[in-house]
Amino acid sequence: MSPGNGIQIIGRNGIGKTTLIKILSSILYPSTGEIFWKGKNIHKNLDKFFYDLSVIMDLNTGKKDLTIIENINFWKSLFSSSITEKEIDSILDLLNLQYLKNTKVKYLSFGEKRKLEISRLVIERKTLWIFDEPFLGLDKNSMDIFIETIKNHLKDNGMIIFASHHNIEVPNLNLIDLEN
Amino acid sequence: MSIFVKLASFFKINLFNKIVNFLIIIGAIIKREFIITYRNFFNILTIVIFFILGIFIFVFATGPDIKEYKEIIIGIIWTLLLFSSAISIDKFYQDDFNDGSIIVFYISSISLEFYVIIKIIISWFFWQLPFFIVIPIISLFLDINIIKLKLLLLSFLIGSPILTMLSSISSSMNLLNDKNTVIGNLIVIILSIPVIIFGVGIINASPEIINPQLNILLGILLLFIAITPWISASCIKIGLRNS
Repeated sequence: MSPGNGIQIIGRNGIGKTTLIKILSSILYPSTGEIFWKGKNIHKNLDKFFYDLSVIMDLNTGKKDLTIIENINFWKSLFSSSITEKEIDSILDLLNLQYLKNTKVKYLSFGEKRKLEISRLVIERKTLWIFDEPFLGLDKNSMDIFIETIKNHLKDNGMIIFASHHNIEVPNLNLIDLEN
Repeated sequence: MSIFVKLASFFKINLFNKIVNFLIIIGAIIKREFIITYRNFFNILTIVIFFILGIFIFVFATGPDIKEYKEIIIGIIWTLLLFSSAISIDKFYQDDFNDGSIIVFYISSISLEFYVIIKIIISWFFWQLPFFIVIPIISLFLDINIIKLKLLLLSFLIGSPILTMLSSISSSMNLLNDKNTVIGNLIVIILSIPVIIFGVGIINASPEIINPQLNILLGILLLFIAITPWISASCIKIGLRNS
């Protein structure tokens, strides 16, 4: 992969899209082959790989007993993100989560939890985004915002790998069909 | 010369920034765990009530013979402390594992071993520390003299972190096995037998063998401090791969 490029993995259910995503995120070890990031094997340089990596799986990692803003502030500190409060507010505005800022995650709908999860990508500010079924549970408006975010990330020389059944129109996006 | 000064200041700033970042991360994790546990304080209260009720049930079950129950009361207290610890083990890693938070920790700049250490400290603080308030109150009801109470608190001070670390190990092992989570509780109970033996032994021992028993208990504590973060972190990593 080169900067500014993305890869979409497609294929029928059970073919191994999530497994591949987990291998690429270094959660699973490949039985054969090696994965290199910036010329180095990721398993031998996990710290450097993780420094550039954001992962979103089909789970909502926002803690249900914390409010939206508490979760965001925690991620901000955990990843030493330079994002400002003003920027966080504008993300929440964009995702229509501003009025729920002080609501505990357990009271959010599934779609709202997904939107919070996606906001983590912008908060972490990493180069490589890897996600599994990112459009799950998103409404049309949120999907458009997310696709726009992906385009901006690629424009800023970021990289994206994701598995999804949705066909999205994004420049520099290559398709990998696991069935072929 | 100026190059060396520049290099030194560069490394100093870098090191300083790293330390500050590290402290911010520790603070954030502690704050997160504190808020989550505080908002579920009822769970801790339930465990404490279980402990108190358990003691009274044992006392009623032994009958009115004060001499008989005085001989076994310390053993009962330690047994119930162990059961209370075993009950709370599900709270350790399961929630973070189920909602994927552990993946977020895994790809963050802190190691899983460090995450385990923070979890153990927070869990000890919330799940064991309340017993340091409850035990003296219970002692008043049970007519335990002040010398025995002091020894009980001392042995619990050393023994409770061991119980927390055992809970950490068994809870992380439960992540590898989603069918039979009772196994985790069994591990806690079996491995805590030495802690119970020396914990109770200190209180009932003659003065000259209190120190050797305390030293053995401290030795067990040091052993668990040395191995728990690595065992738990390894189990979590394997659990992530199996999930």
